[in-house]
Amino acid sequence: MAAPSGRPVPAAGGAEPGARPGARIRAQPGARGPARAAPQGPRAPGSPRRPRPAAIAASRRHRPRPPPAKMAWRALRRVGPVLAPRCPRLPLPPRGLAARRLGTSSLLQSARKFTDKHEWVSVENGIGTVGISDFAQEALGDVVYCSLPEVGTKLSKHDEFGALESVKAASELYSPLSGEVTEINAALADNPGLVNKSCYQDGWLIKMTVANPAELDELMTEDAYEKYIKSIED
Amino acid sequence: MALQSLKNCLWLSCVLRTPKACFWSTASGGLIIQSVSNDVYQNLAVEDWIHDHMDLEKQHVLFLWRNSPAVVIGRHQNPWQECNLRLLRQKNIKLARRRSGGGTVYHDLGNINLTFFTTRKKYERMENLKLIVKALKALRPQLDVHVTDRYDILLDRQYKISGTAAKLGRTSAYHHCTLLCNADKFVLSSVLKSPYKGLKSNATPSVPALVKNLFEEDPSLTSEILLDAIAKEYAVQHQIDHHITLINPADETLLPGIGNKTKELQTWEWVYGKTPKFSISTCVNMTYKDSVVDVKVNMDLKHGRIEVCNIDLPEQWLPPGLYSELVKGLTGSKFCPNEATTLVTTLLRVCPQDDELHSRWNLLCENMIRLM
Repeated sequence: MAAPSGRPVPAAGGAEPGARPGARIRAQPGARGPARAAPQGPRAPGSPRRPRPAAIAASRRHRPRPPPAKMAWRALRRVGPVLAPRCPRLPLPPRGLAARRLGTSSLLQSARKFTDKHEWVSVENGIGTVGISDFAQEALGDVVYCSLPEVGTKLSKHDEFGALESVKAASELYSPLSGEVTEINAALADNPGLVNKSCYQDGWLIKMTVANPAELDELMTEDAYEKYIKSIED
Repeated sequence: MALQSLKNCLWLSCVLRTPKACFWSTASGGLIIQSVSNDVYQNLAVEDWIHDHMDLEKQHVLFLWRNSPAVVIGRHQNPWQECNLRLLRQKNIKLARRRSGGGTVYHDLGNINLTFFTTRKKYERMENLKLIVKALKALRPQLDVHVTDRYDILLDRQYKISGTAAKLGRTSAYHHCTLLCNADKFVLSSVLKSPYKGLKSNATPSVPALVKNLFEEDPSLTSEILLDAIAKEYAVQHQIDHHITLINPADETLLPGIGNKTKELQTWEWVYGKTPKFSISTCVNMTYKDSVVDVKVNMDLKHGRIEVCNIDLPEQWLPPGLYSELVKGLTGSKFCPNEATTLVTTLLRVCPQDDELHSRWNLLCENMIRLM
């Protein structure tokens, strides 16, 4: 997802929030919306600089460069409102603290992560939404039935949690994380084709708690997943 | 002959138990196995076992099997919607639910089943079906058989002789199909016709088709001849020996854990309990003493059990207490004639000895059980 300004900042685990995935994943409506208009503070790249009073400009020239951690946090805070408007404002860590803190915040909210079985999960406020990737829905063909677990089912990572039946085959679904099922997508009962039409939005499969946040770090980022599917296609 | 088959069994035992280790020492490409059992549950269990345990990276497998009379429904189907369960019970025909998708089929010894195991990457149904057509044409060049884009095989452009289903797993996949050689078409058409009315379900439906046996086209064709021809073609295409290894699905040493897989496939929870939720809304017309009593029945069923039960009886037709016990007893119980019969028999015991009441009760319960 594109940040409104600034360069993408690598977070813990190598995720690049600003990086755009390759052309293979077909854009789903709403999956990567247009970048929001930049708020007053940071300016959009390429736009003319706002004229500053001379005194302030002079003092900025002489201000020492903040430490890297502080810079990273500032950049992340600028990116934050675009990714998750409801995400609470994170306090600045003391100087010297590095990427470890960014890992803790992933339980509250994380960019989409992928498994090698072509499921995706994205976490918001401690709840993971799970679906299948565009690559998977294309490979499956038209989905005619979704078999999903009961709410309350406890899953371990890699557990089979259901199946999708398509014109091609019955295909099992494997849980990307450990946790408990909190919600299933009821719309799929009458409209299983949503999985094909909108695999990242309306075609989500289940929501679940995240019992073990560290498992998220074991999953692939969007970029890594792109590379992965390129490699298996060859 | 005995020595040869013993050698094959040992070789197979080696391949199946430690496929990776033995692969390098055996011929690569493919393996053709045939089940010695005609039990549908055992044979489906073999499929599961191969799918879960075998490394198919370098070696694909063709599994040949036949079953004694059975109806096999797809993973997400509704048996009440797909077949005549009453008739199945009467004729002692087994009901099985397979793990692959697709529609309902009737098996007997005149039908052969073929399962093509590959890695998920090499999953290719059209290739497999073309292989079968090639084998048939090599055997009888005059046969008009071709593969449709629905993955059926048609005879004479109109009769379905083969249907296909498939399963994609973590790393492996299988595609299986039927082939009608000399099956009992009359039993087939009567068991695959559901008498149950008023069912509403989003389960995957079957697509009915006109069928014909290859035997009807050419009486010299038998299941054995057809099996052999297909195995031969598979061997040619995979560049392996045209050799069929027999396996016994009850052999726990050869296939560890197969017993549990077979058991699971026979449980009520799997066969009926995996039915997607559905509802029944129907009117039962009971003839009682020269008058007809219309009973509206509405039920919601989940996991094969009655979740919600509404029986609309004329007022006072049954004592209210007894009526509410019936509804209470049915709610939560399996949608199953055996379980319902036990329930109604138990309830009847606490009824007063009143002939009129008993005959009304029996009439209602018989009609309710007929819905199952």
